[in-house]
Amino acid sequence: MTSPTATGSTWTFNAIGTSWAIDTALPLPSVARDAVAAVVDRFDREWSRFRADSLVSALAAGREASVRAPDDTDAMLSLYDELDAATSGAVNPLVGDALARLGYDARLTLTPSGEPEAAPPWRETLRWGDGELAVARPVTIDVGALGKGRLVDLVLDTVRAHIDGDVVVDGSGDLAARGTPIPVALEHPYDASRAIGVVTVADGALCASAINRRAWGDGLHHVLDARTGAPVRAFAATWALADTALRADALATALFFDGGPELAASWNAHWVRMRTDGRVEWSPGFAGEIFA
Amino acid sequence: MIRTTAVPRPVRVGTALLGVAGIVTLAGCSGGTTSDAAAPVDSAAAPTATSAPSSSAAAGGSTAAGTYKDGTYEATGQYATPESVESIDVTLTIAGDTVTAVEVTGDPQAAESRRYQSEFIGGIADEVVGKKLDEISVTKVAGSSLTSGGFNEAVDTIKTEARA
Repeated sequence: MTSPTATGSTWTFNAIGTSWAIDTALPLPSVARDAVAAVVDRFDREWSRFRADSLVSALAAGREASVRAPDDTDAMLSLYDELDAATSGAVNPLVGDALARLGYDARLTLTPSGEPEAAPPWRETLRWGDGELAVARPVTIDVGALGKGRLVDLVLDTVRAHIDGDVVVDGSGDLAARGTPIPVALEHPYDASRAIGVVTVADGALCASAINRRAWGDGLHHVLDARTGAPVRAFAATWALADTALRADALATALFFDGGPELAASWNAHWVRMRTDGRVEWSPGFAGEIFA
Repeated sequence: MIRTTAVPRPVRVGTALLGVAGIVTLAGCSGGTTSDAAAPVDSAAAPTATSAPSSSAAAGGSTAAGTYKDGTYEATGQYATPESVESIDVTLTIAGDTVTAVEVTGDPQAAESRRYQSEFIGGIADEVVGKKLDEISVTKVAGSSLTSGGFNEAVDTIKTEARA
């Protein structure tokens, strides 16, 4: 791989269970790195269901029925509203217990504790407003459908507050770029040494989702249909382009289900997805290249 | 859409019609539901130009040299897939017992792919093998998120336990 852009400095770190890389024209000053670390830490303390001291863990364990709503509450949950409507309920922010049941729990048991179970109806269970986030009973919020995209946007804003020029924030699978457009390969979900296509990201975000890495057994992976609580089987990988990583990430999730393409059209967003049989679909007018 | 313009040549009309009727009938059979024919533009020639399933036999039986009235014939075949109802239109032009033009709108061989296309899906490619990453010039690679040490260790642990 070559690096045709003018980015001169890369800072890599691990956060929220994956690797991150921030490319900037000049090295990020330490004050900017500290600011990024603080943003990531705050988001993790609020939304991670993998740490016992997070807000969502307090709600899940029943230690609290109501907490101060994190800053990102409305931005994310409002988008869940659209995702739910577009996918007829396949995407649901209360899918955490269904994931845990399959083994993807806070302790990373990775062993199913029972048959799949549908996520509870979230609109009746989850309430937010007036600075509060409340649950009617203990349930596990999981913002995995779009949370990392939101964090990529927050990190990008933080970086740009400290430094000018080209910036790429790559949260491993979800990235946002400003400045010089960057060519990005679409990784083959069945062979990480290959790409199924390439797309240019210019002042926007590209988010990818696939079932190949967060997988721990026969047919067990992290993309669930909330209506059944079972892992999806029709699609192996999705990619979505949008103005923000929040939207691109949300769309990448929706594209595992019927209704995803319609949602993309309503957002004027482009996308690619691969079915589990290897066939690839893309949005009308998709400007990238598919190596068909 | 496929447009095939036949060079005027003396073909046996019955054979040509059989071929066209065969396409329509095949489409009808493969979908397992309905196949209905549009009325030919020139209704006088209806018996061989219609595309109802039974017409393939009729067309087959008419391969003996016969005369067909000059004109343009149209037929529509429909069949259902799990996702939608597909249809193809066939237009045939006959002049002097010669098929001078055939136009097929909707390609039944591509229906498997086409049926996923819609206002919201721009295209579909058969199984994509892709290119090696070192053969292309990119800045980034986008796929599923890399997993962290904790997840990888947990997977290793359950694999070890499974072997024990």
